[in-house]
Amino acid sequence: MLGVQSLGPLAPRRVAEGIVREASGVPLEPAPVSGHSEMSSERDAWVTLLGVPGLGPVTFASLLAAFGSARAVLDEAAETAGPSRLREALAHAAADRANDRVEAAASRSDPTSDAWHGRRADLGADLARRICESVSVGARTVELVRSLGLTVVTLDDTAYPDRLRRVDMPPPLLFVRGSIDSLAASHSIAVVGTRRPSDKGRLVAGWIGSGLARAGAVVVSGLAVGIDGAAHAAVVGEGLATVAILGGGHARLFPRAHERLADAIVAAGGAVIAELAPETPASRGTFPRRNRLVSGLSDAVVVVEAGRRSGALITAGWALEQGRECFLVPGPIDSPTSAGCNAFLRTFPGQARVVCGVPELIEDLGLAAEDATDGAGDPTEPGRSKGHAGAHRAPSATAAGAGRAAAMASLGPVERLLAECLVQGPATADDLAARTSLPGAAILSALTLLELRGFVSGSYGRYIPAGLLARWPGSHQREPV
Amino acid sequence: MLASLLSATLQGLDGRPIRVEVDVAPGLPGFTIVGLADTALQEARERVRGAIRNSGYEYPPRRITVNLAPADMRKSGASLDLAMALGILVGSEQVRANGRWAVLGELSLGGELRPIPGLLPMVAALARRRVRRVVVPVEGADESRLADGIDVVPAATLAEAALLVRESSRGRARSRPPRVEMAAEVGDDLEASRSGVACESGGPDLAEVRGQIEARRALELALAGGHCLIMIGPPGSGKTLLARTVPGLLPPLDDEEARVATIIASVAGSTPIRGLVRSRPFRSPHHTISYAAMVGGGPHMSPGEVTLANDGVLFLDELPEFDRATLEALRQPLEDGRVSIARVGRAAVFPSRFQLIAAMNPCPCGHAGEGDGRCRCQAAVVDRYTNRISGPLRDRIDLWAHMPRVRPEEYVGAAAPESSATVLRRIVDSRRRQIERGGCCNSRLTGRALRAACALSSVEQGHAIRLAEMEGWSARGIERLLRVARTAADLDGSARVEAAHLDEAARFRSPSGRRLGFAAVI
Repeated sequence: MLGVQSLGPLAPRRVAEGIVREASGVPLEPAPVSGHSEMSSERDAWVTLLGVPGLGPVTFASLLAAFGSARAVLDEAAETAGPSRLREALAHAAADRANDRVEAAASRSDPTSDAWHGRRADLGADLARRICESVSVGARTVELVRSLGLTVVTLDDTAYPDRLRRVDMPPPLLFVRGSIDSLAASHSIAVVGTRRPSDKGRLVAGWIGSGLARAGAVVVSGLAVGIDGAAHAAVVGEGLATVAILGGGHARLFPRAHERLADAIVAAGGAVIAELAPETPASRGTFPRRNRLVSGLSDAVVVVEAGRRSGALITAGWALEQGRECFLVPGPIDSPTSAGCNAFLRTFPGQARVVCGVPELIEDLGLAAEDATDGAGDPTEPGRSKGHAGAHRAPSATAAGAGRAAAMASLGPVERLLAECLVQGPATADDLAARTSLPGAAILSALTLLELRGFVSGSYGRYIPAGLLARWPGSHQREPV
Repeated sequence: MLASLLSATLQGLDGRPIRVEVDVAPGLPGFTIVGLADTALQEARERVRGAIRNSGYEYPPRRITVNLAPADMRKSGASLDLAMALGILVGSEQVRANGRWAVLGELSLGGELRPIPGLLPMVAALARRRVRRVVVPVEGADESRLADGIDVVPAATLAEAALLVRESSRGRARSRPPRVEMAAEVGDDLEASRSGVACESGGPDLAEVRGQIEARRALELALAGGHCLIMIGPPGSGKTLLARTVPGLLPPLDDEEARVATIIASVAGSTPIRGLVRSRPFRSPHHTISYAAMVGGGPHMSPGEVTLANDGVLFLDELPEFDRATLEALRQPLEDGRVSIARVGRAAVFPSRFQLIAAMNPCPCGHAGEGDGRCRCQAAVVDRYTNRISGPLRDRIDLWAHMPRVRPEEYVGAAAPESSATVLRRIVDSRRRQIERGGCCNSRLTGRALRAACALSSVEQGHAIRLAEMEGWSARGIERLLRVARTAADLDGSARVEAAHLDEAARFRSPSGRRLGFAAVI
């Protein structure tokens, strides 16, 4: 796409900032899209324009530069000869800048600038036509954004996450569902991994997710099935904030299996965000873009499990490129689900770091000790999830296991026995029966109670620890009963 | 001379008395059947001719016209053979009929009488017509005697039947032995060919199923309460084995159910009936089954699998592999307990109060959710696979049991699982409680009757609400929960539904959303 910041005067952020400020007089505050004031009209125009399929940040920046504001672009496009006028104006503006660039290029000898220049000047006839068509459908997109309850955050808003603002080619718009504050958390760590993890990987993702969240970080991930989902679910199980970044648009939430998880994330004070317009479907091409956003929104990236060709490695690669710290959970050398992690560690010996335990990871990340997070006035302390208002809600002011110990104590004897088994990892009802020698009916009832309290989630007849049970069990794990 | 005899054919599950008139008139030799007879009936001409000749009578070289009344009703099957043959004998004055007889039976070329499907409802229909005596094939005598108010006289051959109708009911001793010289070594595997899908009675014992406590419990609940059950698991997890234990776990039929079951078995004609059918049917059609074979119909308006499984179990293995239309056709019978089939000129209503037990894999490769990364199915492919079972059909399934792969420890372990006999005792006890309380099994409870049966205290009500909120259940979902909880309580012998029963029932709830895996996380 566009190497904006390396191109000096043409960085869209600067262009956009200057122009929008001129047009509206004040920086835009993040607010739900509404069609009345002048500034929200400009915001609507951004939404409309960036909703045009095929119009990326590059063209958007050029259009802004040529016309002054997105509203002006749309006004121009609404004219009868819209497409040709758009193209002319853009070509004209580009030609002006090209002159400047020749001088600049002579001094900088930047080999890419010509390529950028060529792309920049060109507004395809198709795209121009689509922009003109978007004038009529724009209202619908804006209406959709409003009906989904999304907040639009532009590159110019103060609420736009600073971390993301500093990366190359920051997305001009973010569609946020949930708490915008969670994007600006003081610590923000990505936890990513394969969509087809092993049971252990799922468990480790939960440990890391809940551990980081309790240490005060906001966990960022991609809402995919597998590791991403396990990390999100563990944080939500703690009632803490996590940020999920979608590969597509909000109206086409992908994967559908995680619709409820997305709702739970928002309810727990986190956010679900998308770079793309609500109706954009997730596709092969959109996920790498999403991965860039995952690392861009984080201080560090933790890869739990990744196969040799996992997309999580793309995120890790972006992290190194964006100057983020990169942690990988190593695995057995013959494990296909850890092959990518191990290979990455080998390839980037100085940069990629090893995770050898949750407390160690928290220490390496420079996060505060766990008990500090329960102090008053912590900006990252989010609202509590309604659905998980169980006994484990009590603040755990002491050591790591204290919250769990308290929760365990509040359980009945059968449930406690099962909980102790499930801490070891996912199990089937048969496994639990074999380990506890309890009758089947009692096990099944108790599992529902545990599920009701958010300690267990069932999947295809296997019971996976969640919430408190998904926490790092510490170095001295209990032996199986 | 004109002869007139009474016989019957089958329409749906009902017998229809048919008057067979035979006119043996001078003229060019010929044999014509009028009165909407189908192909099998038209072919009766050859059987009748052969049977008469080989029974020692003379086939009259005259103009024979057979009329089947009522004329506007389509008739099928071979049950009228005997009536036609006797009519010809009477019409040609070789036999003198005495008294008011009805005759039923198919003829072989040798003059032997063969049993016909649906003998019981036909005899019952004739009894309703106040016919006093009926001649039936020997092999169908036991079955025919189940009908009240009619004197059943068995006959082995056409000649024997001719003797019977000639004499009054208490006639002289049988003078002539039946003259049948059949090639005895030619096997007659009629029985086997008639039965479409073999009914299994002696399945494996539940003790042979290792592990799977969750699915075992689901099956017990399903059979105790008559709930529909689906088992989801990878290949080799024991779904089919568990299903095959079902025949050994079914409580016997009560009298009224047995009567209907016997009529259905008679019409299906799969096995000779010696007395009232007391065992519940268990049907397991293959997934290539056609629409008509499932719901009934076809040229003879035969009962389909849903009817053959009436008051019993219909087991559908590999549920998503069934034809979509066939599966959708299950909805009406599941809801109404009967299926009405209409064809041009005729219609039939078949009972179909069956209990559906189904099995399926969680995804096309079968290994989803095992946590070992073996399943490489893409989410969209899994969705497409599971969506072959439509929402309305899912709504009718009370119990969803997952069957994860059994670990080797379970196989080699010493723990002896419960045997079928133990579980059957609990099931029978539980059924009895259900019938005593509500007069029907729990799967048929709805609305007020269900709430009354559950009698939840305020504590349990609150618990039920919490469970419902966790899943975002609809009213139908809550009803399913209460029904299954009621059965769990009945299995426990508990008069009231307690929180633990609700919890257990919630374990078998239907997966929310579109996927089967209870959503992978949370």
